[in-house]
Amino acid sequence: MAQTRRTYLVDPLVDNNPITLQVLGICSALAVTSSLQVSFVMALAVTFVTAFASMFISMLRNHIPGSIRIIVQMVIIASLVILVDQILKAYLFEISKTLSVFVGLIITNCIVMGRAEAFAMKNPPIDSFIDGVGNGLGYGLILMLVGFVRELFGSGTLFGITVLPTVNNGGWYVPNGMLLLPPSAFFIIGLIIWAFRTWKPEQVEEREFRIQEAEAH
Amino acid sequence: MKMLRGVFDKIEPNFEKGGKYEKYFALYEAVESFFYSPKTVSTVAPHARSYTDMKRIMIYVFLATMPCLFFGMWNTGHGANVALAALGEEAHTGWRIGLMQWLGFGLNPDNILSSMFHGFLWFLPIYVVTMVVGLFWEILFAVIRGHEVNEGFFVTSILYVLIVPASTPLWQVALGISFGVVIGKEVFGGTGKNFLNPALVARAFLYFAYPAQMSGDSVWTPVDGFSGATALGITAANGVEGLAEYDISFWSAFWGNMQGSFGETSVVMCMIGLAFLLVTKIANWRLVAGCVAGTVVFATLLNIIGSDTNPMFSMPFWWHMVLGGWAFGLAFMVTEPVTASHTNVGRFWYGALIGFMVVMIRVINPAFPEGMMLAILFANIFAPLIDWFVVRANISRRAKRNA
Amino acid sequence: MPEPDDTQGFLARWKALPVDSVPKTIFVAAALCLFCSMVVAFAAVNLRPTQEANKLKDKQLNILQVAGLYEEGIDIPEAFAAFEPQVVNLETGTFTEEVDAANFDDRAAASDPGLSRPLDDDPAGIGRQSRFKTVYLLRDDAGDLDKIILPIHGYGLWSTLYGFIALESNGNDIFGLQFYEHAETPGLGAEVDNPRWKAMWPGKALRDENGELKITVAKGVPSSGMEQFHVDALAGATLTSVGVDNLVRFWMGENGFAPFLENLKAGDV
Repeated sequence: MAQTRRTYLVDPLVDNNPITLQVLGICSALAVTSSLQVSFVMALAVTFVTAFASMFISMLRNHIPGSIRIIVQMVIIASLVILVDQILKAYLFEISKTLSVFVGLIITNCIVMGRAEAFAMKNPPIDSFIDGVGNGLGYGLILMLVGFVRELFGSGTLFGITVLPTVNNGGWYVPNGMLLLPPSAFFIIGLIIWAFRTWKPEQVEEREFRIQEAEAH
Repeated sequence: MKMLRGVFDKIEPNFEKGGKYEKYFALYEAVESFFYSPKTVSTVAPHARSYTDMKRIMIYVFLATMPCLFFGMWNTGHGANVALAALGEEAHTGWRIGLMQWLGFGLNPDNILSSMFHGFLWFLPIYVVTMVVGLFWEILFAVIRGHEVNEGFFVTSILYVLIVPASTPLWQVALGISFGVVIGKEVFGGTGKNFLNPALVARAFLYFAYPAQMSGDSVWTPVDGFSGATALGITAANGVEGLAEYDISFWSAFWGNMQGSFGETSVVMCMIGLAFLLVTKIANWRLVAGCVAGTVVFATLLNIIGSDTNPMFSMPFWWHMVLGGWAFGLAFMVTEPVTASHTNVGRFWYGALIGFMVVMIRVINPAFPEGMMLAILFANIFAPLIDWFVVRANISRRAKRNA
Repeated sequence: MPEPDDTQGFLARWKALPVDSVPKTIFVAAALCLFCSMVVAFAAVNLRPTQEANKLKDKQLNILQVAGLYEEGIDIPEAFAAFEPQVVNLETGTFTEEVDAANFDDRAAASDPGLSRPLDDDPAGIGRQSRFKTVYLLRDDAGDLDKIILPIHGYGLWSTLYGFIALESNGNDIFGLQFYEHAETPGLGAEVDNPRWKAMWPGKALRDENGELKITVAKGVPSSGMEQFHVDALAGATLTSVGVDNLVRFWMGENGFAPFLENLKAGDV
């Protein structure tokens, strides 16, 4: 049992990462990763919501009618998200300004719904909680990687601390403006997927078709 | 030449399967096929016979860019010499000017040789960096993936050099071509499998990453302290009428002596290249026709609609065609066969989409006065979809006929 | 499914109902909604005062920053107490008692038909303009006017920029300019936040001796005599610069704060 719980926690980090393998939760990964601090808070928020949503849904799983189960899941997730949003606005105002609508959009983050539907509906609460934490961390890991690249090369800072002094502030580093634009996260996530698959070739899907080799002499 | 063949034959076994340098077969093949046509022949059906192979196509495209290249050298050098003459002695800094004077070329804008050579000195470092960095990636991927180094890179590199501003810092040139070759081509499997034009991917990367060095008024003429807006920049602010103030007439824009990226300013030179590509049947005329039609129709439509606040609305299509990258893009990017649609009907629509988008971006988007690059990349993405629709339509038509 | 037995109680019959039956479905939905709404409402009500305080503090922080009074770690509400908020009627250029300065919301007023007017001549691209604006006056120890903080906003390239401009007591010399909300291109237009660019504003003047509005944000080297009124445009961000130029000139002009500043100079308010 302990072994499986460990798997629930560790598996989503690399082997079954929600972003790089399942390609879920991309939209917020594009939007909030221009700085590490914001990525970090977003990762925490998603981990919190995924973990508790999974736990609550799992607790209720034997009482949720199949006909309205998606709506029930949504209500629980939405309530948790509003809770997070309210707390951020009250205690982390600066960050909540940057995150703005994206906290609210955790509701539509496919990872949360995906874990609720795929795991929490079939497993006991503690397992579901751990699975939620694991997936939240897997999401957070990618967010932090992307945030690291984007903030370091886009603004020359890490967590707001200057690492590469930029030209506009009298330094030597010419910041890469593309990294400040959300689409750049596509490239970075793509490269991360590439790296993961080179490291773990079992993640590569079967080819749908194979081009026949030409016979040459 | 016999001797050379002998050298190749002697070392070839080392590079073949099981040889000492098996891994570097790609390198050997690249050098060998540079001198000799490949020995490989197909033995199983189907056979297609043609005078053009990939190498010849690439060489033709390379040749077709030559007028643009030479004109670009002169235009860049001429612009720089004019600016230097206007700015006076204190602006005469940098190794190029030192070299020019030491060699006795002077800095005379009226002297064609002096202008050409000055432009050449700006062209050469960019080209060398592009080749070295780009070939490094090409060979790296060729060795790891076991495919051959492809001549396509020679075309990509020359196109890329012709569409960047002459004053681009060399490290940005290197970053741009790295992004273009790796992300634009190699991740998809190399030449022929890319769905975006690698030269444009490289250029777009620079445009979004380093806009200060890629756009604005001070980047086009490589002289510090000289500022000159591109014709499209002027038009966006003041309309076509505003161009007269900067001594840009339709015909001067047509000939191309004005601010712009290295080789894209002259419509005449682009048309010579395009004519060559059309005659050799490398460029498909349907693509060209579609693009021209798209531009004409949509620009005219916008002329009719009109706008009080946006002077670009009133820009007639013939001006769209002589300013910015329209002509260059049409000649060398729209006609690029790999990233365009592959069906004949699709080619019209593909071209038309570019013509429509370029006018759309130039006129309606306030942030990008130049639209050709983005329009072509956009259409590249849609090319397979266009083909899909054409094929579907064909299937359903035949199904009806035979029903 | 066995027929419910009449001898069993209501609870037992309820328990026997399958999860997917209509009554249970409705019950689960209702109970869950009730519970969740209570949690959410509880959180919202309890946290609201802190959130409101945050918003207010944020605005005060921006005003303190533009007035050059902000230092790391100061008590913001306390420092802000030095400012005197006043609502100005833009048309007459006088303070007004029509609206209450403490509760007046400038941004809401701009879309309120009773409090605003549509603009014909609208270089700042704001559509409607509130007839009233909250200004903040800073007085020195002797009670004399020290600085005037005026709210300004207008359209840049992608977004409306909201900010404050701080003027010296003569109502003509600029002390500082700061935007607190915008969505311009990062690295280009968003450089309006760069301290190095903002540092170009202090010491510039709005008008020349003849009272002509001269302040401009433009590229290149100013012609002689214009240095005092010229702020260099942001590199590579033409349209944001044009937007800032327009909005500053609009709000400092006749449709903006000009009547108020004139009254202030004449000592009429």
